Amino acid sequence: MKTLRAYLSTLLITALIITSLPVAAAPAAPQSMDLVSTQSVLSADRAGADRERINEILARADVQDQLLKQGVDLDEVDARVAALSDSEAKQMADQLEMMPAGAGGGVIGALFAVFIILLITDILGLTDVYPFTR
Amino acid sequence: MTTKSTNMLSNARFAGVFIMLLLLSGCARNPVLLQSTYQALPPHAEITSVPFYAQTEFQCGPATLAMVLNHQDVDTDVEQLIPQVFLPERDGSVQPEMLATVRRYGQLAYPIRGTMDALLGHLAAGDPVIVMQNLSLPIYPMWHYAVAIGYDLPNETLILRSGEIERHTMLFSRFNATWARTERWGFVVAEPGTLPSGITARNALEAISAYEETNGPRAALSSWQSFTQQHPTNAIGQFALGNALYADEQPDKARHAFERATQLDEEMGAAWLNLGLLLLQNDEPEAAREALIQAASLEGSWQAKAQSYLVELDVTHE
Repeated sequence: MKTLRAYLSTLLITALIITSLPVAAAPAAPQSMDLVSTQSVLSADRAGADRERINEILARADVQDQLLKQGVDLDEVDARVAALSDSEAKQMADQLEMMPAGAGGGVIGALFAVFIILLITDILGLTDVYPFTR
Repeated sequence: MTTKSTNMLSNARFAGVFIMLLLLSGCARNPVLLQSTYQALPPHAEITSVPFYAQTEFQCGPATLAMVLNHQDVDTDVEQLIPQVFLPERDGSVQPEMLATVRRYGQLAYPIRGTMDALLGHLAAGDPVIVMQNLSLPIYPMWHYAVAIGYDLPNETLILRSGEIERHTMLFSRFNATWARTERWGFVVAEPGTLPSGITARNALEAISAYEETNGPRAALSSWQSFTQQHPTNAIGQFALGNALYADEQPDKARHAFERATQLDEEMGAAWLNLGLLLLQNDEPEAAREALIQAASLEGSWQAKAQSYLVELDVTHE
C-alpha cells in the first residue's frame, strides 16, 4: 500500500506538471479562458493548489478502499466516491473510522450496569434509549 | 445509638443520591429556546405531508433520506437508497455521505445552524430537518438519524418521524440533550434556486459549491443567484455568481459580478484576475491591465497567472 501510494504520487506529480506546461507556455488565448474556480477560492486557506489536487486524488483512492472494506458493493463504490465533494472526500479519508454512523438499531444488549445507567438517564430525560420509559 | 448512626448514614446517602439526581436533571432543565423565539414563531407547526417509512434493521439513514427526498417530489425509495448511503460493516450511514446522496438526486443539502431556535425556524418555514442524535451517552453511543417535522411550543415538544415511530413526540429538553451529543448536526434539503432562510452564509457557500463540483457551474447558477439575493454583500458569493454566469455564456453579467466582488473585497485576488481575463477577452486592454495589476500585487495562487498575462499584454502592445 505504501509503495503503491509513493508510486501513485510520483505518477500524479509528473502528470500534473506535464499537463500544466502547455498552459504556462501558451499565449493569452481569449477563447479558452480558464477562470479561477469558486472551489479553489473556498479552499484557498489550504496548501498550494497542485499538492492539494494530489491530496484530493489520493483521498478519493483512500475512500474507495475504505468503502470496499466497509462492505459497499463494487458497482456502487465509484458512484459513491464521485458524489463526494473534495472536502467531504478528505474528511472521509482522514476520519471515516472515527466517524459516527447513524444506525438507531433498537435496544442494545448492554451490561447490566450500563442498562441501569441508561435507564436512569432515560427517566431523567437525558437520553432516549428504552421505549418503555416514555 | 447504632441504629441512629446507620439511619443518619442512609439519610446522608439518600441525600447524596438526591442531590446527584437534581444536578443531573438540572442540566436538562436549562431553557433551550430564546425568549424571542417564543414571540417570533407560531405556537404550533407540523409538516404532515412528510411521508413515513419505518426503518428496518440499522437503516435510519436511507429511511430519513427517502422521507425528505419524497417530500421534495424526488422519485426514490428506501431500497434504492440503501446501496447508495449505507455502510454494511458499520451498520449505519455517515454524515458526508448523507449530504452527498442528496446531491445525487439533483437537490442541495444545507447543514443548519446548530441551535434549537434555528431548528424550529426551519420547521415553521415548512422545511423538514434531518437531525443526527446520540440517543445514549457518549461512552456508549447510539447514533441515530430522524426527521424533525414539527413542534408544539406550549407543550415544549418536538415532533419527529423516528425509527419505527411515525409521530414521535419528545420534550425539547430530552431532544436537545440527545442532539447536543452530535454537536447539533442537521440539514435541510432544497431544490436548486431556493435557499432556505436561516442558513449561515458559510454553510450555504459550501453546500452550493459542493453541488457545483458534481453538477457544473451552470446547474448551480440559480442557487448562486438566490444566495447573492440573500447575502448581497458577500464577496465570495458575487465571485461564484460571476463564474456561473460566465459558464452560462453571460460574460457581461459575469463581469459585473466580478466587479462587485472586487468592490466588496479589494483583497480578493481571484476576482481581480477573473475580471482582468474577462476584460481581456472583451478587448479592453487598459482596464484589463489595471485589474491584472491588482491581482498580481496580491499574494496568492492567482499571482503568477496575473503576472504572466501582464507580461503578455506588454509584449503585444509595445
